[in-house]
Amino acid sequence: MDVISNQLFAGLSMASILLMIALGLAIIYGAMGVINLAHGEFVMLGAYTTWALQTYAGIGILLALPIVFIVVAAVGWIIEKVVVQNLYHRPLDTILATWGIGIILQQAVRLGIGAESRFVKGPELLSGNTQIGPLIMSNYRIFLIFFSVAVLYGTWLLMTRTEFGMKLRAIIQNRGISECYGIEAKRIYSLTFAYGAGLAGIAGALITPLFSTIPTMGTGLVVDAFLVVIVGGLGSLIGAASAAVLIGEATALFSIVINDTLGRIAVLAGIIVLIRFRPRGLFPTETRR
Amino acid sequence: MTSKFHYDLIALVIFAIVIAFGVPALMNYDGFELNTFARYLALAIASMALALSWGTAGLLNLGQAATFGMGSYAMAMHLKLRASDGLPDFMGWNNVSELPLIWVPFESLAFTLLAGLLIPAFIGGLTAVFMFRARIAGVFVAIITLAFLVAFQLLVINQQGMTGGQNGLTGLAQLSLPGWTVDPYSTGFYYLVAGCLTVALAIGVYLTHSKFGLILRAIREDADRTRFFGYNVATYQTAIFCLSAALAGWAGMLYTMVLEFASPTYMGVSFSLAIVIWCAVGGRESVIAAALGAIIVNMLEGRLSDVFVEGWHLMLGVIFVLVVMFMPRGIYGVITETAKRLHHPKRRHRKTDLQSSSTKQLETGQES
Amino acid sequence: MQQLQVTDLHVEFGGLRAVDGLTFNVEEGEILCLLGPNGAGKSTTLDLICGKTQPTGGSIRLNGTEISQMLEFHRARLGIGRKFQVPSVYKDLTVAENLSVAISKRPGIWSALSRFALSDVREAGAILERVDLSSKSNELAGNLSHGETQWLEIAMLIAQDSKVILMDEPTAGMTIQETERTAEIFRSLSASHTLIVVEHDMSFVRTVADRIIVMNRGAMLAEGSIEEIESNEDVKTAYLGH
Repeated sequence: MDVISNQLFAGLSMASILLMIALGLAIIYGAMGVINLAHGEFVMLGAYTTWALQTYAGIGILLALPIVFIVVAAVGWIIEKVVVQNLYHRPLDTILATWGIGIILQQAVRLGIGAESRFVKGPELLSGNTQIGPLIMSNYRIFLIFFSVAVLYGTWLLMTRTEFGMKLRAIIQNRGISECYGIEAKRIYSLTFAYGAGLAGIAGALITPLFSTIPTMGTGLVVDAFLVVIVGGLGSLIGAASAAVLIGEATALFSIVINDTLGRIAVLAGIIVLIRFRPRGLFPTETRR
Repeated sequence: MTSKFHYDLIALVIFAIVIAFGVPALMNYDGFELNTFARYLALAIASMALALSWGTAGLLNLGQAATFGMGSYAMAMHLKLRASDGLPDFMGWNNVSELPLIWVPFESLAFTLLAGLLIPAFIGGLTAVFMFRARIAGVFVAIITLAFLVAFQLLVINQQGMTGGQNGLTGLAQLSLPGWTVDPYSTGFYYLVAGCLTVALAIGVYLTHSKFGLILRAIREDADRTRFFGYNVATYQTAIFCLSAALAGWAGMLYTMVLEFASPTYMGVSFSLAIVIWCAVGGRESVIAAALGAIIVNMLEGRLSDVFVEGWHLMLGVIFVLVVMFMPRGIYGVITETAKRLHHPKRRHRKTDLQSSSTKQLETGQES
Repeated sequence: MQQLQVTDLHVEFGGLRAVDGLTFNVEEGEILCLLGPNGAGKSTTLDLICGKTQPTGGSIRLNGTEISQMLEFHRARLGIGRKFQVPSVYKDLTVAENLSVAISKRPGIWSALSRFALSDVREAGAILERVDLSSKSNELAGNLSHGETQWLEIAMLIAQDSKVILMDEPTAGMTIQETERTAEIFRSLSASHTLIVVEHDMSFVRTVADRIIVMNRGAMLAEGSIEEIESNEDVKTAYLGH
């Protein structure tokens, strides 16, 4: 029983990380149909920015979050302007181009900062554990779970309650007509891409105490995050959240039953089957496209 | 037979002559240099195989490295058995005391050669049936094949006692064919790989110009429309996936012989995407261009990574993004478009002619 | 002989009954025109026959064989051909290649592997002559004008040589002369083919139709010759909405 409840918590904690990475991806994919394979590198940039802020300016993770968001969002904004914007009519090519961008970012960091892993201290405030019966939970992971739910809620508010969100949804429905009503699709796309990148940056900042910060850290994460997006359904926030929990918990539970690697293989196989039978995800948006 | 087919035949013959006579002469028949070039030629087969599924049928297979790896491991298993008396050494280290059942038939060379082609074809075919029966298309094909690749690589690394895990299979024997022990640093071996590539390209050129290739291009453009002509789209897609996988397996077998080891690195996501790069740089519409793309990028990598040890990958990324943005059809696209411009310098005028004739039609239509 | 028998056909899209208990037969060699106001279910009926949409109930028999549960390529092999409302030629293929795809008497993989892309087209050169496209056979279909695209599609239908051809507004966007020529081609096709045509252009219907079915709200409203339909009170009501 102890093992299971601890694993369930580990799964939830992993789900919260996956969710934060996947949210940005889901927005970019849902809004523009762009499969952004550079997303993992945005996470990596966020982690390195946090490391730099802590090492050179002494700013802790939590205070660094807004700065990280702005820095990574700016990088995303530039990339959208220079590359992605020219490829909206060629969805398969965006996979390739963003993957190339991923290599560039990864190698640039490797050349500039070095390939050895960097460490970031977690916030003092959240060190230690909370124990409920046999269940031992790290305070930082509990914080991550709540924070990811807050980010989800914030994003939902942004999409449904603001003018920006309304314009974005209008463009998703029908770009041509939206432009006729004076919505600048190009600008909205750039901002959306930047927002998605910024979210990845925040995710990167938050995982620094848990993962070692190396240039290739994003590559493994992006595949998982992608599967979350696809399983969740095109651009559905609730779908992404449920898929993150599903995949996080499934991975955690499988790894008790079999070992870690086989657990991951089983999850991947499950996802492949799921995509095949529900290519539009668990929660497809009910619109005619 | 079309003029395009003639161009491709001429290109194929020139290509074959260059790799058969030009390259070895240029390298002074130096065993080491020829081995390096043979490596490029083996990779060229993997690239042209991807051109068949991606360029012709529009199916972006991001799992090409998995089928490549299957061929590579099949050959390595055979050569490992040849190199060891009884149990391969790494199995002992992993407390495996008996040769696993799947290893047993790889004692036979004939079985190995067949398995290196048919196992990838079979696995490729299974994934294809699984996807295409459900009419999965576009980015979903890319995502499913990518997930499959990740799972497959994990599995191979995980089964250490059977596959050598992260280390792969090393310490292999040289392949002994009847009357010939294949030394990977010999001219003979170079010709073996060059011959394989030429045959693979000939198959590829035929396929793209056959009615089969035409139907695949039709499916790429509009799968639904093609169904209404009575073609079973899923079968066509599955067939090209199998063929492409078999060719990738073939490339993998040769690659193991070149390197004298097999490694799970060559089943990884980055290797798979590297194949996509070669194919895109050369031009995915033509198998010859895709093969050239592999050779050019790998040659550049060979030369430049000596000079810019650190910066090479960065440059590769930049080149790739530029190719995707500005040369979506690769080198092949640049060549054909230039050729077209030389052929029809007055194309613009003809366009306006067409327009005026259609407006004339409209006018006469209104009169009557 | 009854070539196509449609019996009590139903289809629902999320509660909307697009086709609701439709029954009709088509004779071999007949040109049947489907008329009706927008949303009457005409195009959906064609979709159901060719397999683009699966029916929720009813039966469709082609020469006695039940086809309503078959996949579209099986139906195509049995002899159902379809022309869509939006011109759907392969723009990245040449005119000759488009025609070669349409020649699909042997749609299997082995036969496709054993022939060159254009082997079949030489036999079918006469079809291109007939629609005046033989000089453009190496042109990409995407470079054709709107009218030429329509002709190419008709050429592809002739080449496909289906027993039953379903056409959705074949004359949309055509000039009067082109429409006349299309009517001529249709009449000559009906010697060896059965045609079901959805069309709004009444003068075209008048020239080609052997029989007319008027649909309204997914069901048959009236059936008969052009004269019978034009004098039918129900039809007038459906169209004018009184």
